Amino acid sequence: MSAEHGGTTEHRVVGTSARRADGIAKVTGSARYAVDLSVPGMAHAVVVRSTRAHARIAGIERDAAAASPGVIRVLTGDDLLAAGLTPYYGHVVLDHPVLAIERVRFHGEPVALVIAETKREAAEAAELVEVAYEELPVVIDAHDALKPDAPNLHERRGERVGDEGMDEGEGGLATNICAIARVGWGGDIEDAFTKAHVVVEGEYRYPMLYGYAMEPYNALAFFDQGDLVVYSSAQHVYMVRRDLARMFHLPLARVRVSAPYVGGGYGTKSYTKVEGMTAAAACFTGRPVKLDLSVEEAILTTRSAAAHIRARSAFTKDGLLLARDFDIVMNSGAYTDNTPLVNSKTANRCFGPYRIPALRVLARSVFTNTVPSSSLRGFGAPQGNIAGELQMDEAAAKLGIDPVELRLRNLVGPGEEFMPGKRPLDADLKDDLRCLSAALEWPGATAGHSIGLGVSASDAGAYPTSTAAVRIHSDTSITLFTGSTELGQGSRTVLAQIVAEELGVPLESVSVINGDTGVVTYERTTGASRTTTITGRAVQEACRDARRRVRELAVQALSVSSGEIEDTAGGVRAKGKELSYGEVIEKWFGAGGEVLGHGAVRRAEGFAKMPPFYEIGCSGLELTVDRETGQVHVTKLTTVGDVGFAINPALVHGQDAGAAMMGMGAALHEELVYDGEQLANPNVVDYRVPRFSDIPDQLIHLLAERRDGSGPYGAKGAGEGAGNTIGSSVASALGRLFGVFPHQLPMTPERVWRLMREAKRE
Amino acid sequence: MGKREIELRLNGVERRLEVEDQVLLIELVRGLGLVGTKLSCDTQVCGACTVLLDGRPVSSCTTLAIEADGKPVETIEGLADGTKLHPLQEAFIDRFAFQCGYCTPGMIVSAKALLEARPDPDAPAVRHWMEGNICRCSGYQTIVDAVLDAADRMRSAR
Amino acid sequence: MLRRFDVHRATSVKEAVRLRQMLGEDAAVYAGGTELLLAMKLGVARWPHLIDVKPIASLREITATKDTLRIGATATHWDIERDTVVAKTLPAFARLEASVANVRVRAAGTLAGNLAFAEPHADPPALLLALGGRVVLEGGAGSRSLPIADFITGMYQTAIAADEIIVAIEVPLPASDVRIAYVKFQILERPSVGVAAVATVRDGRFVGAPTVVVGAVDEMARAVPTAQFAGADARAAGTRDAIAEAARGAVEPTADLAGSVEYKRHLVGVFAQRAVDSLLAQAS
Repeated sequence: MSAEHGGTTEHRVVGTSARRADGIAKVTGSARYAVDLSVPGMAHAVVVRSTRAHARIAGIERDAAAASPGVIRVLTGDDLLAAGLTPYYGHVVLDHPVLAIERVRFHGEPVALVIAETKREAAEAAELVEVAYEELPVVIDAHDALKPDAPNLHERRGERVGDEGMDEGEGGLATNICAIARVGWGGDIEDAFTKAHVVVEGEYRYPMLYGYAMEPYNALAFFDQGDLVVYSSAQHVYMVRRDLARMFHLPLARVRVSAPYVGGGYGTKSYTKVEGMTAAAACFTGRPVKLDLSVEEAILTTRSAAAHIRARSAFTKDGLLLARDFDIVMNSGAYTDNTPLVNSKTANRCFGPYRIPALRVLARSVFTNTVPSSSLRGFGAPQGNIAGELQMDEAAAKLGIDPVELRLRNLVGPGEEFMPGKRPLDADLKDDLRCLSAALEWPGATAGHSIGLGVSASDAGAYPTSTAAVRIHSDTSITLFTGSTELGQGSRTVLAQIVAEELGVPLESVSVINGDTGVVTYERTTGASRTTTITGRAVQEACRDARRRVRELAVQALSVSSGEIEDTAGGVRAKGKELSYGEVIEKWFGAGGEVLGHGAVRRAEGFAKMPPFYEIGCSGLELTVDRETGQVHVTKLTTVGDVGFAINPALVHGQDAGAAMMGMGAALHEELVYDGEQLANPNVVDYRVPRFSDIPDQLIHLLAERRDGSGPYGAKGAGEGAGNTIGSSVASALGRLFGVFPHQLPMTPERVWRLMREAKRE
Repeated sequence: MGKREIELRLNGVERRLEVEDQVLLIELVRGLGLVGTKLSCDTQVCGACTVLLDGRPVSSCTTLAIEADGKPVETIEGLADGTKLHPLQEAFIDRFAFQCGYCTPGMIVSAKALLEARPDPDAPAVRHWMEGNICRCSGYQTIVDAVLDAADRMRSAR
Repeated sequence: MLRRFDVHRATSVKEAVRLRQMLGEDAAVYAGGTELLLAMKLGVARWPHLIDVKPIASLREITATKDTLRIGATATHWDIERDTVVAKTLPAFARLEASVANVRVRAAGTLAGNLAFAEPHADPPALLLALGGRVVLEGGAGSRSLPIADFITGMYQTAIAADEIIVAIEVPLPASDVRIAYVKFQILERPSVGVAAVATVRDGRFVGAPTVVVGAVDEMARAVPTAQFAGADARAAGTRDAIAEAARGAVEPTADLAGSVEYKRHLVGVFAQRAVDSLLAQAS
């Protein structure tokens, strides 16, 4: 366990806090994001949005807009349909219209697209588009949407297209259930509850959140001799490529999607957002078209799922878990999007890495007339955490057992299975927890201060499909091709470090080209904390392949047998003579030349067992409360990054700090609020994200490096875990301070004040 | 209606430009190819669009371009001296004070104004001055560290 | 992006008034634009003409006589925070100005603009009201000055006439033994509650009645009835509680994302007490 990574002599480049490859670009403002790009002849699009939450579209009057100065075209969903395009997208279910067709299902849904010579002209014309609506009954709350008399949002489900299976079948068409997930084992759960010495039971609420990646969604699209080219802020360029290929009936080879630097992702830029609309505009006008959304429009595009969880946990007198039972309802918005995956992950992540003899989880994701929900950092773990992990603290209080001790008694150990059939736990959580509690000085001695902490293990990494390629140039410098996008997480730096390490070359001699489907090699996704582990392994394979090819060249160029060649740093040794890669290459070609190495990983060998790895969350904090206002002040924040091996420790610390701060946002302030049919706070004035004034007094970021991961050098992923347990940490710290545990996030000053009053009454 | 001629000193270079009255300073700056200044919240609360107007940090998203008439304007592109980075830029790199980088130009420009007004700030003073700049990636502490580090470097250089 | 408009630069107060008369409702007065341009961007208002008063030199001045601090209409929060005259005569006000919004809004936004916009969640009106501040206006009918309470008439509403501009804010300077406090609670971008307290305290007792004004929680700043506290022991728990109760009773909080009516009313009482505590903590 170390706060400062000491570095070992075993590795040269990995394990060091190498300066970021994108540093100079970002501090000088020369880093280009999709929103900064423009091409000659570019037109601009502006979206016309629904002013109803649920309605049939009776008609769209666009003549005035079309005649407006500068306007090239006004598009509707019917235009796309009439042109024979597939006007829907979605990576699990094809139900998300590019532009609304027949019906709108949430306030703010795109209804028409105005394309004009300038953005100003498009915006002015957009105001002239008139949409006639026939209102339908609206449902905003997920429980209301489950009622038998609720309006049905999707009478027809779209085509199933996902290659990632949903864990369970979908709910019936008439119930507004988008997806169901069930997890369970162990026999008669009610019997287990009757046998319990202590049962903790409660209802918990996790808020609807906005990720607020500071670069809002945007895209620039054009057709190049029939090939579609799109620059956008996408995290998953290959998934967007697939959606666009389907939409325009193009082969994958004729669709190119490229993401330059992305201004924040956190999962909010996973999957197609505005690319379909923008490409449609380019298709219909024959011009390159740019579409960039405002922050408010971004909020109307994607938000994260709120959860309402009924939970019960049964314990023996000694605090051993007998059973856990969860009924989860997620408010998932108007379209399927990524809901089934978030739903199933919430089901997997609510009960925690504990030994649980009997488990029952039912998770239902429900359609409502609200902004569609999709991925956000944590991906169901923060939602599950406020119920499952908080109940451990509530049980500890009821049992009279120290909450750290209670967890230690129930946590599974390294190599132990806690989800039947899945990869056993690849972490020593007990040691992590001991380390965390020591760093927080648990149980704490300062009057008026309260400590909360928690553990989680997320089945992470999504699907282990990844490829990479390295080009070794004739001067021994290297170019890495990766489909991984640079969101700020540092993938360009970390993957370059792996290349430098594997090939034995200086880090400065490695360049990275990434995130462009027309240039680099296939990468399934960038997210789910998977890049270091899964893409990193593909990069290693690519380096091994490149070395193999160099050796093959050396056999021929030096007329030696393959047994006489050894790998060295940056080259080979044959017959006592050392040659760099470049020298071998030049010798083989005669002049110039290069070697290409390719690597691919899939669900096999090290990644055969799912999940590819567990992402550990082990964070806690100490807080005080202003007893008059209810305002929380965090005096200490501690994270343990159990990452197996930190390829770049500073970057891991950065991810942990950022994830924990986001967790604090949801725990204390952040919540999207619906006021009737519309959002009350679709902007960052009224939606409060963490600021400089929220920095905890003391920050401790620790690393646990036991080389126990399936990734390079024993690495596992980071980026989400550190935030997953912040919610229950805040709630349990407040609960222990006041004697009443809150069951809702965010714990705004008013909610803390009400909690204090409730506690006084009891 | 129509355009107004303005003269401004943009990153040390005299410029004479014609702009309409309602054009925003961020539109002017980005329209000139200086795209380091970023648009995010568009409501003055996030600071991604911060530029220095006559030495003061302003939200270029809510400042008219014509206000720059006769004044010096400094954007992120004006900090480095050719390839020689400003101490703030070096400190941001050394302290890992950015991740996605979208807030970074605004942070650095805002910090530059702080250090000009107050060359020896303490951490609370940095946090107070920078309160109007949002970062969604970093958790903020590394940015505070970088600004204090830059202040040290700049004081030593004098 | 803003709708098209023309900016008319006035170089004198007379010219500004004339432009107001000529353009009527089609024009808004413009200085820092931090509220104005934002409102236009959000589409809540729209003016084809802006009258820029920044070129009027006299409006930038901050001066003081022995009785009055006069802050020109185009003085920004940034200027006021740093001004040596304000520091000498009314440092409590400089501190308030340093806490308004964020550094960029302070750099461009004017105190006069803040008052003219009459945003309910604002800091300056409470303290200005407590100090007896006045808004000095000039229009076709000449010059007049209105106490703050008469100038701000409602949410986003003022008593400014169609042809008037604000030329200055005048604050009567309190006697040297008068203590001034301003405390606030803020979680979102604007304050949820602000309380200004002005009083003379001797041997722990109020000399005369304290002035307490609650801002940011109601449609406008509200003066708290405090006559009953004249001569009271400011340190006594009973006094503090009674002041809190009087403050709570003097406002009708607006429920919004910053809190419910009940919670905000509670905060008013808390911060009224904290304002008094702040007064007591000051050396006379």
